[in-house]
Amino acid sequence: MKPLLQLENVNSFYGPVQVHFDLSLTVPENAIVCLLGGNASGKSTTMKTILGLQVPKSGKVTMEGRDITGLPTPEIVRAGIATVPEARRLFGDMTVRENLLMGAYARSDKPGIDEDYEKVLDLFPRLKQRLGQKAGTMSGGEQQMVAMARALMARPKLICMDEPTMGLSPLFVDRVLELIATVRQTGVSVFMVEQNASMALSIADYGYVLQTGRIVLEGPAGDLLADPRIRSAYLGDTAA
Amino acid sequence: MEFLSSLISMPWLDYSISGLVIGSIYALMAVGLALIFGVANLINFAHGAVFTVGAYIGWTCLVGLGLPLGVTIVAVAAVSGGVGALIEWLAIRPLNRQSRIAPLLATIGVALMLDQIIHIVFSPTPRALPANIPDWRIAVGNGTIGAIDITIFATAVISAAALYAFLFRTKLGMAVRATAQDDDAAKQMGVNINAVNMTVFGIAGALGGIAGLLVGLYYNSIDPNASFQMMLKGMVAIVIGGMANVPGAIGGGLILGLIESWGIGLFGASYRNLFAFVLLLVMLLFRPNGIFARGKERAAEPMTGTFVTQTKAITLPRPLIWVLIGVAVILPMANMPYITQVMTNAYLYGLAALALTLVSGTVGLVSIGHAALVAIGAYASALLTTKGLPVSLGIVIGGAAAALIGTALAYPAFRLRGHYVAIGTLALGEIVALVILNWEGVTNGALGVFAIPPLEIFGLPLYGTKASYWFVLALMLGMAGLQVRLLKSHLGRTWKAIREDTVAAETYGVSSNYYKGLAFGFAGFTAGIAGAVTAHQWSFINYDSFNLLFSVLILTMAILGGLGNVSGAILGAILVAALPEMFRTLAEYRMLFYGAALVILIRFRPQGLLGSG
Ligand SMILES: Nc1ncnc2c1ncn2[C@@H]1O[C@H](COP(=O)(O)OP(=O)(O)OP(=O)(O)O)[C@@H](O)[C@H]1O
Ligand SMILES: [Mg+2]
Repeated sequence: MKPLLQLENVNSFYGPVQVHFDLSLTVPENAIVCLLGGNASGKSTTMKTILGLQVPKSGKVTMEGRDITGLPTPEIVRAGIATVPEARRLFGDMTVRENLLMGAYARSDKPGIDEDYEKVLDLFPRLKQRLGQKAGTMSGGEQQMVAMARALMARPKLICMDEPTMGLSPLFVDRVLELIATVRQTGVSVFMVEQNASMALSIADYGYVLQTGRIVLEGPAGDLLADPRIRSAYLGDTAA
Repeated sequence: MEFLSSLISMPWLDYSISGLVIGSIYALMAVGLALIFGVANLINFAHGAVFTVGAYIGWTCLVGLGLPLGVTIVAVAAVSGGVGALIEWLAIRPLNRQSRIAPLLATIGVALMLDQIIHIVFSPTPRALPANIPDWRIAVGNGTIGAIDITIFATAVISAAALYAFLFRTKLGMAVRATAQDDDAAKQMGVNINAVNMTVFGIAGALGGIAGLLVGLYYNSIDPNASFQMMLKGMVAIVIGGMANVPGAIGGGLILGLIESWGIGLFGASYRNLFAFVLLLVMLLFRPNGIFARGKERAAEPMTGTFVTQTKAITLPRPLIWVLIGVAVILPMANMPYITQVMTNAYLYGLAALALTLVSGTVGLVSIGHAALVAIGAYASALLTTKGLPVSLGIVIGGAAAALIGTALAYPAFRLRGHYVAIGTLALGEIVALVILNWEGVTNGALGVFAIPPLEIFGLPLYGTKASYWFVLALMLGMAGLQVRLLKSHLGRTWKAIREDTVAAETYGVSSNYYKGLAFGFAGFTAGIAGAVTAHQWSFINYDSFNLLFSVLILTMAILGGLGNVSGAILGAILVAALPEMFRTLAEYRMLFYGAALVILIRFRPQGLLGSG
């Protein structure tokens, strides 16, 4: 599989505090890769680093072989990376339709945008009746859909999702996981950060485990699911 | 009774019409401020200067070039829009990574510079703006509407409509709205935040400039000194409307215009500005999120804790301090009376800056109304001593009055945070000046207080510049020493804890209001005696002696030295107050100098020369 996104020996800091220690990982084309880890392990910081919201002190981020480290975020978006941010971050006072159009902000191919708009609404039929509703007034699950639909509107090669199942009811979690799998089927890679290891690994191809800024374990999702260390550290209660 | 009869006989409709017309201009100002607050989280104090730029571009086009009104409006929008965008690019964008209050202070600096440039180019006196608008009026009910009213109102409505079309019909407008809601998320959609900010400053500038032209048309004259007042009107309007709320800003502008107009009808025009500030204070205290807010508060913004950039304060070595004090003491021996006088003045500023650096630096309440404390001290002592009280007693009473009245006035503002502290203190400063202006029976109103007795110590008059110099120097050093003592005590540590995190400090059982009160009390006393001594030095004061510019000046001094830093405040005062006096050209372009100093300082050394304490 061809690598799409790569992090090589990334060291990130907040002021004097180091958050990533020689972090390296790869997201191949057309794959779902998940990054597991407990609170404050540096998962969201990884997202910020990929999106250029946080510039690492050393190390490199490449997209399709092109160095994107430290580029302004809009450039990185244009390089084909879309995002479903932590806690979704919809534009709450704007309508669902406007939120979707914001997703396509970096594009200028009007016909392509119209086409994707239809496609995305077919994928999320529930949003069709809600186009004029203020995004902030929707339920958590609906908001998650808008966030995913908004990311797809960028026609990205890679979508980064930060805890996409956070705060959702079990029913909706399944639905979201299903949608992520569907997204991958359209040829888009997904890099997702999750605390809920079993859920994430159930749809992922490959997984990394992050602990206080270091990758301590990695492997194909199936292997990780079976790995006793993962089972004890993350699946304790949730598996079974 | 008189009030009741004027309530009944007042031509309500006429006052309402003029209120709406002026209100629509305020709304134009407010919309720009609201847009900028939305995307950049910043109160743009330079907005009033852009308003004045618009007025003068309008004059140039209409009178200088003889262009028709339509063309003039477009030219005004273009030029003042350009100025707005330039402000963003030159003064705001470089501060991207700094705390929130930094750009606010930078816009104050820009405002001073722009105002001075207008004074230089067009002279500081108002000029006529004859517009060829027919002067017919038609009767409506028991009032009248004129062509000028219709022109202004229509221009405001069309401008607002154009803004709405931009915000809701264009892609960039959508990005502006998105950025206002969540700039990080907007960035992740590929929005170039810098471009959005620049656009918004440009639009705000264009609307503000048009407002400037319209005010000129309404009064047939333009005033180069109206900047801050107009900016404040816009600010009151956005506080009424809910800060970043654009339709709210329009509503707030109209409400302010109406209240002001009715108030003038009932109480007279000299109270014009008072209504705005009282309204502002009432809003801040009871509806800080505006009258249109539904529930949810805007997240509290930690503004000062982050502004007082945590650097190590430079502590001057003791021997150096003694050498400097020694030099200061023997300075008058050089027999240069002008220098002695300039330095006396600088030390008085130093006293005031000591007080401000305590409140704004150590406790973290950034005040833009500091002049009020100084004015209270000055008036208390001046009024009592002209009635026969000994001067030394007057000075002490001046300090006490500033401490008490100042703390009482500021007390309601203690629960405000971030931008609201700045707005609230600014309003207090203006209100004190307006009370002085209007309370004629006590303060002598606009005439001011004359023949204030000169300085003396316990009946011993201080003859000559040297004696007063030593007296002021001793006063300043004494208060500075006391402040250093306090800062090293438990009290000082508590103050800093409150600055870093009021909420956390309170959870440890610190009553922040009590400690803020102590800080204001001490600072008020220092500022009050600074004012009192100044009054006796000058022998004449009036309501304008301690104005907004004075407040800004003191703030610049405190920032220059390093907010919270005691020796920094004195150094800042000497540099800012004395330097321009020693170079003629600097004195001539004083505001330009102060403005530039503020902008450059915040850009390159936000922690001040000696570091924040
Ligand atoms: N803006 C910031 N400034 C300073 N420190 C930060 C900042 N953002 C995160 N950190 C710190 O960096 C570390 C990693 O944070 P990060 O948000 O990446 O963790 P996370 O793995 O996403 O945690 P969670 O599961 O709780 O979302 C934490 O210790 C956090 O406190
Ligand atoms: Mg996180």
